[in-house]
Amino acid sequence: MRFKTDLKNIRTFSKLTAALSSLEKIAWVRLDDDSVRFTVIPDTGSQVWASLSVDLIFENYNIQSNEPNNTINLELPLNPLQRALKSAMGSNHANLRLTKRDGIPMLSMTIHTLTKDPAAENNSRHPNPPPRFPRDHDDEYDDPFAQSDLQAELQMRREREKVITQDMPVRVLHPDTVETIMQPKVREPDVHIQLPPLLQLKAISDRFTKLAMTTSASSSSANRAEKTNPKLELSANMHGNLRLRLFTDALDITSVWDNLENPELDPSQLTVPVEQHPSVAFREGGPDKWATVRVDGKDWSRVLSVGRLEGRVIACFVDDHALILYVYVPHHDDPGGVEDVVTYYVSSYSA
Amino acid sequence: MVVLNFTLSEDGVAVLHDALSCMFKFSDDVCLEARKDKLTLSTLNVSKSAYVCFTFAANRFFSRFNFEGNAQYRERFACQLYIKSLLTIFRARGGASDASRENASIERCDVAIDDGVGRKSRLVARISFRNGITASHSLPYEVKAPTHAKFNQQEAENSWAISSKTLRQLMDHFGPGIELLDINTDDENRVVNFTCFTEKVQKRGTTNNEAVLKKPLHTNIAVEMDEFDDVSVEDKMHIIISVKDFRAILQHAQITSGELATSYSNPGRPMKLSYGADGVLCEFILMTVGEKDAISQRHKTPKPNAAAKAATPRPQLDSTSHRASSAQQTQAPPAAKPPQSKMPSGARPPPEFDMRPPPPPPPAAPRSPGLFVSQDDDDDDQQWEPVNPEEQEEEEEEEIVRLEWHTNSEPDPSAPRISSYVRQPTKPDHTTSPDRLLSGLEPTQRLSDVRRFGLFSD
Repeated sequence: MRFKTDLKNIRTFSKLTAALSSLEKIAWVRLDDDSVRFTVIPDTGSQVWASLSVDLIFENYNIQSNEPNNTINLELPLNPLQRALKSAMGSNHANLRLTKRDGIPMLSMTIHTLTKDPAAENNSRHPNPPPRFPRDHDDEYDDPFAQSDLQAELQMRREREKVITQDMPVRVLHPDTVETIMQPKVREPDVHIQLPPLLQLKAISDRFTKLAMTTSASSSSANRAEKTNPKLELSANMHGNLRLRLFTDALDITSVWDNLENPELDPSQLTVPVEQHPSVAFREGGPDKWATVRVDGKDWSRVLSVGRLEGRVIACFVDDHALILYVYVPHHDDPGGVEDVVTYYVSSYSA
Repeated sequence: MVVLNFTLSEDGVAVLHDALSCMFKFSDDVCLEARKDKLTLSTLNVSKSAYVCFTFAANRFFSRFNFEGNAQYRERFACQLYIKSLLTIFRARGGASDASRENASIERCDVAIDDGVGRKSRLVARISFRNGITASHSLPYEVKAPTHAKFNQQEAENSWAISSKTLRQLMDHFGPGIELLDINTDDENRVVNFTCFTEKVQKRGTTNNEAVLKKPLHTNIAVEMDEFDDVSVEDKMHIIISVKDFRAILQHAQITSGELATSYSNPGRPMKLSYGADGVLCEFILMTVGEKDAISQRHKTPKPNAAAKAATPRPQLDSTSHRASSAQQTQAPPAAKPPQSKMPSGARPPPEFDMRPPPPPPPAAPRSPGLFVSQDDDDDDQQWEPVNPEEQEEEEEEEIVRLEWHTNSEPDPSAPRISSYVRQPTKPDHTTSPDRLLSGLEPTQRLSDVRRFGLFSD
């Protein structure tokens, strides 16, 4: 069993890891020839299935396995991975390989990096000094960069590359153990809508959650569980509206977004003819036809932490039943290419 | 009768504060020792595995330094103080705006120690601000001879020196949950390795497979020897020290931005780290983990046999004598016997440096400004953190403020952060507002400005 790869887009990888680790400490990683899949399934709370094409985060990818389809299944703690990726950020070169240390399997990240010198860093931010003009005054022009360039050069001569090795513990999983883990199946959604900027949505959701917990402190301890885990009501229609509502004994607050996009369905992706799709009925039902789910405020906040990936998010509502988020991860180096999808199965509660 | 008095400039106060906050990471109290030519602050941690000593040169560091002495303390005067109270006195003051910082900046700081028969033992610090306010603090202390750790420089044959800034940045790569730092050299590859690991892990092959995944990150950093100023270390020699202590040292060392020099001999023997800045010498003596303790110690040097061990004296702590290493630079007081006379073992059980049991975990107090805990120092990554229910309780007060949807005093509404509210001095507002109302006087100064003059305790 061999796995070795160079890392690229470390920032994206790191942000994905951060988003996943807010839900669960350990991820199941499945590697094969074309894709790398991260799955987190917390005991309670939302689960995530992130399926990425290999070239989003890896290059010079090399995998060899005796298991069917050249697959490697790993159990990987996310905090060490995040920590290691942080080390790798801004490095000259970093790679990742599966190895053993003292007989224990390890995922070893080797990072070639320089220590950040404030002077050198400023310099590296401007690899090409701005053009000097006016050209004719060049001779008496006092180049402000000359001095710092010289200093940086002196620094660089002294500054040697450091080799950092970050070993993360992993567990290799047998195919049988992962065979039973299935991606949830949900029926066609009633409403699909593009979410507003997640930072906005998260700020308001978090405020609602905190409000619910603050007001609960003064009221009776009758339904304490409900108070410490406040539920938010999330609704959407097929006319570009999203509604977030907090309803407790003391409060009833609602935030509504409008002019959001309900993306067109792609008939080739559907199992039913477009006209029979549940969303058609909801669209015809008008703006008052809402699909509603209830989510746990704290869990929802953890889900929304995926906003750091800066991707487009489509929410699919199955009325009173389920909420699924599709987060499209942008490829910064290939904007026109295929987008990778991170799927959130948000745990929801009936009213 | 005044035994000692000295004056510090504004910068001097800041340097003193930095030194004290570094010491505070090791211990709660500090020994102040004054002589004609220098002031020494030293402390030893509870487990006696780390000793810290800052020496301030009388003629270079202070604007004025006068050791009077008296009949009782002719050569030197020593006392013990709580670091926490000193930190409060010498804390940095300064406002958000340049104008208020100018107002609140320290013009001078006079410190005097008053002692003698029939007098109250007090350290009096008087801080004069540029705006004319003077704050006086009076601290009680305990007259007590300091405990100094000894370090045998002759024995310490291994040494290296490197820029403390570089070293400090390397430490950023070490993750949380690690305890020990193994420093070793590899002559073949011309590198010095810094390896972090912990012994608190389950043995291999335990029934609980999950435990394997709970192991912290194992980090190794290889630094080319060329980057060091001088390396003279036995090949494959592994020396192991506590990460926590090392971090505390580096955080202070990087402020002075000097060159950090180390010297040490063998595992289980002390290691000295030192660096100097303008008129200040900072020395640390850390106990290294002995061979028998280090499970993952894999070094190939032959074990020093028992006879050799007996011959070389263990490091001792001595309440009156001085460190052998510093004996040449200080004149030993007549009261203290020469250190050599104490060296032979067997005279009394020496309370030696001991790495085991490890020091108790540091209290998770806000006093250590999260040097290595922060996972995200990214631009604005904080806002993506989920609502933290644990924080909820402590933040109750801030929460209520927060709910006002920042009405006032928020300079930058585009960056609503909890921290910006935490910094608001809410408490003094509550306590002082009734007084103001009773007196019927219009406020002439913002409370937040007055607060910096040390009129309110924190």
